[in-house]
Amino acid sequence: MLEVISFSAIALFALLGTPLFIIMALAALTAFFFSEVELSAVAIEIYKISSQATILTIPLFTFAGYMMAESGSPKRLLRLADAALGWLPGGVAIVSLVICAFFTAFTGASGVTIIALGGLLYPILMNEEYSDKFSLGLITTSGSLGLLFPPSLPIILYGLVTGVDIDKLFLAGIVPGILLIIILSAWAIYNGKSLSSKGTLSLNKIWEAFRGCIWEAILPVAILYGIYSGKTTTTEAAAVTAFYVFIIEVFVYKDLRLTKDIPKIICDCMSLVGGILLILCCALGFTNYLVDEEIPTQLLELMRTYIDNKIVFLLFLNIFLLVVGALMDIFSAIIVVVPLIVPIAAEFDVHPVHLAIIFLTNLEIGYITPPVGINLFISSFRFERPITELYKASFPFLILLIGALIIVTYVPALSLWLVE
Amino acid sequence: MNVLKKIDSLVESYASWFLIFAVSGMLSLAILNIVLRWFSVTLLWVEPLIRHLVFLSAFMGGTLATGRRTHIGIDILGKYFESKNMMNAHAWVGRIISLVSFFTLVLLIKAGIDFAAVEAKYGKIVFLGIHGKYLVSIIPFGLSFIAYRFFYLFVSSWQQEVKDA
Repeated sequence: MLEVISFSAIALFALLGTPLFIIMALAALTAFFFSEVELSAVAIEIYKISSQATILTIPLFTFAGYMMAESGSPKRLLRLADAALGWLPGGVAIVSLVICAFFTAFTGASGVTIIALGGLLYPILMNEEYSDKFSLGLITTSGSLGLLFPPSLPIILYGLVTGVDIDKLFLAGIVPGILLIIILSAWAIYNGKSLSSKGTLSLNKIWEAFRGCIWEAILPVAILYGIYSGKTTTTEAAAVTAFYVFIIEVFVYKDLRLTKDIPKIICDCMSLVGGILLILCCALGFTNYLVDEEIPTQLLELMRTYIDNKIVFLLFLNIFLLVVGALMDIFSAIIVVVPLIVPIAAEFDVHPVHLAIIFLTNLEIGYITPPVGINLFISSFRFERPITELYKASFPFLILLIGALIIVTYVPALSLWLVE
Repeated sequence: MNVLKKIDSLVESYASWFLIFAVSGMLSLAILNIVLRWFSVTLLWVEPLIRHLVFLSAFMGGTLATGRRTHIGIDILGKYFESKNMMNAHAWVGRIISLVSFFTLVLLIKAGIDFAAVEAKYGKIVFLGIHGKYLVSIIPFGLSFIAYRFFYLFVSSWQQEVKDA
């Protein structure tokens, strides 16, 4: 009885908005207390994270992303994307999707994309006579669009929590990520077809724009090449990326000042990274307790009474994850929910890499799912609009992404093609 | 109150400076490791040092996030109170959160100290002559920074109320 009261109180604290790492720590302390395990075991679990070899990738990739977002990089890349795709009907909207996906992959969908690019893209879209609703919806949705592309922070975190090879996850996300962009681009073309044409494709213009941002444009390809050619490990790729971005933004483009901008960027990005790592540290204790108590097995047994095949399981999984995504942010969800789901999905013969992509796609959608999709709040803050307006603006995009999710879920080859 | 505020500013300042040095350090060491590998040289202490820098940075980053109130949380009720302009209820929620967080962190600090004591008894030198007990002490040390900030958030919330009145 006392256990039930304790855990109910912890759930209430969570709903009140107590930081998730405190909730995880409190849950672990309570669970260990009732199991009569020494409380120092929680500290031992916290310390375990310092032995994770890939832990360095989280601060360094995020640091690189933050430096790019704070520099003139968004403008330069926007110019390139505009030159390459802007001539298409709906071209400006497609450019916005591509450029946001690029930045989200580097900044880990932490809201930086909307803050850094929103102010840049919104007037451009409005200038092209897109409706206010469409423009807001597009920017809000694009804020999490590149989550499936390397070197996205949620992918790294998923790999750390589950032990699935991060290199494989990086590859697996590429095709589903492109699918999401294609589906949203089709919607952009549909919305842009009645707008006046923006001219023709000019190879000279593309080359000029490419020359202007060559050092940044080659970065994603360079990272992938480094990792998959075996020249660098993922951790080394993170170090090289951060160092490279630092050199080009401070000494080549001279967008960032070494003594003024870099310290501020370090503090900004480490405040996010610190928050994530603390959750990861504190959750290890609690999730290990859940696994020791065979909670996933009990959930599986319960599920088996209602679900007996993979197709229904995947449907149930998507509904469950959409609800999780609408209530929790992606980092918390990965740390808390993934350890419970992985063993159950394995029982239903879902490939661990495919499960990762389904999970991340759901959580990507969660960013724009009412009531607490984080992108909705960030856009509401950035554009000074009521949150309900953002709900309406993002709704068509939400439906399209759910359509894409169904394809990603029931066509595993999309996720596994490059991996296998 | 001014003393508490000064300590809070010091904590913020120390955490910020530490993070600037730690990120510069981990980046430089990671690059050094890659360059040395080209010459078939491996420094065994670099990797564990970097990992522990990241570990300590997690607490210092958490310290900044506490001051900025940007910790990740579910926050359904808090947002509801804010959207309905129930500022009094919202302020009370903030106080409860600060208090619960502070006491949880005190328990965790105690757990960390106990773990460090065990490590002092049975642990060994891990790298560069650094004993395991010092590395484990990162936990109570880092958590103390965060705990203080939650304590200050709780105390300063009452002062804010007096000012508003």
